[in-house]
Amino acid sequence: MPQALEGSAAVARAVALCRPGVIAAYPITPQTHIVENISRLVADGELDTELVSVESEFSAASVVLGAAAAGSRAYTASSSQGILLMMEVLYNIAGLRVPLVMTCANRAVGAPISIWNDQQDSMAARDAGWVQLYCVDNQQAVDTTVQAFRIAEQTELPVMVCIDGFTLTHTMEMLALPTQAQVDRYLPPFRFARALDPASPRSLGMLVTPEWFSELRHAHHAALGRAAEVVERADRDWHKLTRRSAGGLIESFGDPDAPYAVLTIGSVGGTFAAALAECPPASPTRLLRLRCYRPFPLAALHEACRGVRELIVVERALSPGQGGIIGTEVRAAFAGMRGAPRVHNVALGLGGRDVPMETLGRLVAAARARRLPPFSIFDLQPERLPAEER
Amino acid sequence: MKQLTRGAWGEPGSSLACHTGSWRDLRPGHEHAAAPCHAACPAGEDPQYWLAAVQEGDHRRAWERLVAANPLPAITGRVCPHPCEQRCNRGHYDTAIGIHGIERFLGDAALAAGWDYPGIVGPPAGAPRVAVVGAGPAGISVAYHLLRHGLVPVVFEAAPEAGGLLRSAIPMTRLPRAVLDAELERVLACGIGLHTRQALGRDFSLDELRAEHAALFLAPGCARSRPWDVQGVIPAGTRDGLDLLKSWIDVGEVPAARRVVVHGGGNTAMDIARVMKRHGAEEVHLVTASGLPGPQTAPDDVLNIVPRELEEGLEEGIVIHPHATLSRVLLRGARIVGVELVALRKLERADGRRARVAFEGTERILQADLVIPCIGEQVDPAGLGALVQRSGFLRVDARGGVAGACDLYAGGDACGNIGTVAAAVGDGRRAANAIAARLAGAEPSERPRTEIGIERLNLNYFEPRPARRAAVLPVAERDDLCEIEGSLDAAAVADEAGRCFACGNCLACDNCWVLCPDAAVLKIADTASDGSRYVFDYDYCKGCGLCASECPSGFIAMRPEPE
Repeated sequence: MPQALEGSAAVARAVALCRPGVIAAYPITPQTHIVENISRLVADGELDTELVSVESEFSAASVVLGAAAAGSRAYTASSSQGILLMMEVLYNIAGLRVPLVMTCANRAVGAPISIWNDQQDSMAARDAGWVQLYCVDNQQAVDTTVQAFRIAEQTELPVMVCIDGFTLTHTMEMLALPTQAQVDRYLPPFRFARALDPASPRSLGMLVTPEWFSELRHAHHAALGRAAEVVERADRDWHKLTRRSAGGLIESFGDPDAPYAVLTIGSVGGTFAAALAECPPASPTRLLRLRCYRPFPLAALHEACRGVRELIVVERALSPGQGGIIGTEVRAAFAGMRGAPRVHNVALGLGGRDVPMETLGRLVAAARARRLPPFSIFDLQPERLPAEER
Repeated sequence: MKQLTRGAWGEPGSSLACHTGSWRDLRPGHEHAAAPCHAACPAGEDPQYWLAAVQEGDHRRAWERLVAANPLPAITGRVCPHPCEQRCNRGHYDTAIGIHGIERFLGDAALAAGWDYPGIVGPPAGAPRVAVVGAGPAGISVAYHLLRHGLVPVVFEAAPEAGGLLRSAIPMTRLPRAVLDAELERVLACGIGLHTRQALGRDFSLDELRAEHAALFLAPGCARSRPWDVQGVIPAGTRDGLDLLKSWIDVGEVPAARRVVVHGGGNTAMDIARVMKRHGAEEVHLVTASGLPGPQTAPDDVLNIVPRELEEGLEEGIVIHPHATLSRVLLRGARIVGVELVALRKLERADGRRARVAFEGTERILQADLVIPCIGEQVDPAGLGALVQRSGFLRVDARGGVAGACDLYAGGDACGNIGTVAAAVGDGRRAANAIAARLAGAEPSERPRTEIGIERLNLNYFEPRPARRAAVLPVAERDDLCEIEGSLDAAAVADEAGRCFACGNCLACDNCWVLCPDAAVLKIADTASDGSRYVFDYDYCKGCGLCASECPSGFIAMRPEPE
């Protein structure tokens, strides 16, 4: 039954439905409401879990690493500087192949300090070896959270569910929560083959010498590659169960024959979907919403871009000194392909700057007029900067 | 081919196979260093050891540990200047442990409960007999320790009763006679043969004793005052402090005087000064070449007066003239009417040492109708002959052996030591050990432990706590018989003992066990040979030293790994 819920409260409910054994998190804006809602569920007796209060994100990540390694379904959440403080542990979790789920309430990374939304934080963790799924709206956030546990446990890889801070976390939305029975059917109890057990001891975190390291990196890389299929199947099965898809690997909207396409990630995909309906661009445009960023869905991207001549990649982070992060990867994905689309790349909505619906039309018009450089920050007002900084 | 596990998880037992102890170049070890109180105690007590039993609430065990060194705690708890307290590491932190009050409590508790000295069994038949001359603290101590060694002590005392200086020179206000009698009676009852009214040189000779005993211990004390005059003048009827104290103790009388000058800076001087003041003297001046305690005064230059006695004397109005001497006695006919004081100054002598000489021009006059010399005592040579040195004392080695005579030992004030009861007790104990070892044909075994300073403690684990001290009688209520310093009660004793840092000893705090990053400190059910319940697992100890730096009491020391 649909109900109006704040994004954070909805995610907290979704986590609770997954019956986690251990939750450890340290509050940080804009993730705080998730932790608060989980605490309330525990305090109200609605969620039976070991909620560990920690003194930092480093500890939060370490606690869930240990908990999951000991065979408990584990969950944490963070944001921005918190993700950076966890970074060492994030690499360890993935490298040790410990399955657990984390929500990243996406927020800009300082300095300059900003509490508002962009996706620099999860992009900074791009190479940690996690599955990364980005949500368009809070319904997807709920559905993806449940799916994430299944993906994690089937692949023995950690999954980061990225939801835009404030835009999703602090926004009320009509959405449907799955029932406990549905989740229980979808998500079997966690059985971890390598669970730490004093009865049959093993060590994790071993030193690995040069003669073995490459093979382990290959195994990790290949496991992520194979995870794409698990992500897709998890969404298909979820659709069968709830009649809702959370976006597969990439969602495609609009005119399937349109020569223009805009590729988005995160909640901008929601804004632009509305724009397609209410103030469509002058040229026929299709909207591609990238949900699964790691593993990078190469085949699905090629499929979604069939027939596209001009592809505008829109992202909410950048690699200073290089340009767009996703844009660069998309260009690489088409490198050497005959009939590949021309790729335009913009970063926008940085540090919480609003992305209004008209942006879609303006982006397509600019691409059509050949006014977009290979990479730029869109809607920049350089006159605000001293001349030498422009 | 060997295959990797997912995420490179290790096979069972793999980390224990890595003996990280081989990385170590420093090795932790338990080191039972001597607490400063132990190092400082002339009697050889280990206060830390018996305070630990007090902390556990076991007063009897504490007393038994104490009397292993000193059989007279009810006495020394009252009269000893307690160098242990001056050296106590806690004194650098807030206030030293009031060891004397606890020692006194234990001594009194033992007297009240009638506890028996531990470790004394009747000497076997035919055990060697050892003669002891003098039943003062040194003589009593040597007799007690000889008994502990299974030897037969036979004590000869010139006075009608045992006690020596304790009885003849220490006022009842410091040492009630009931305590003295009870403590002596109990030691003597252990099996010490005592022959009173037997004076060396009058009733027996050294040669007679040597013929009948396997060894001889001389503790005659210093019965004779040093000769005293001022520029050759001795006022008529002058009696020295020791003599006056003795007659005051015996018959309760002192000469009447309005203005008294006491010449000397020791306990006898202060004791007689206070007696004179209490007996109606308007002014009592104490003139001494030594200095008052304080930052300006070198330790070897401070008056030799028990600090709390000095404090009480000043409270009672004794006027002290430090770094001064008498340069003239002013007489009207044969009667003394005053003295001339002169300040002393330091002068470097040819040999580099400093002497105090009169500072001309600083002379001043004090009116006085009595002057009491208290400049020290020496051995009465009767019966000792050539054993008495030119200094007026006997000369002995570190174990109490008299030079040139293997069966002759000596101790106490007669050897010119620091002149305290505790030092005499220590002399007796060391000599008894040496005598027993010689008679058994062995070497005396007393291995000294290194002293532990405050820098070896981790004070982060302690908190300041106020010291508990016994009440002192107000000046107006002090008389000739009331003990001035009171007793602590059991609660105060527990509190005060609880302040002990346990320097150099295991507190069983678990710090090493909890904080070892390699879990290389193991806690065991039995007590290890070093007295603690922890052992080091040297297979895995990397020698980081965390245990040593976090040990509150300095029980763990890092030593270089043996080659």
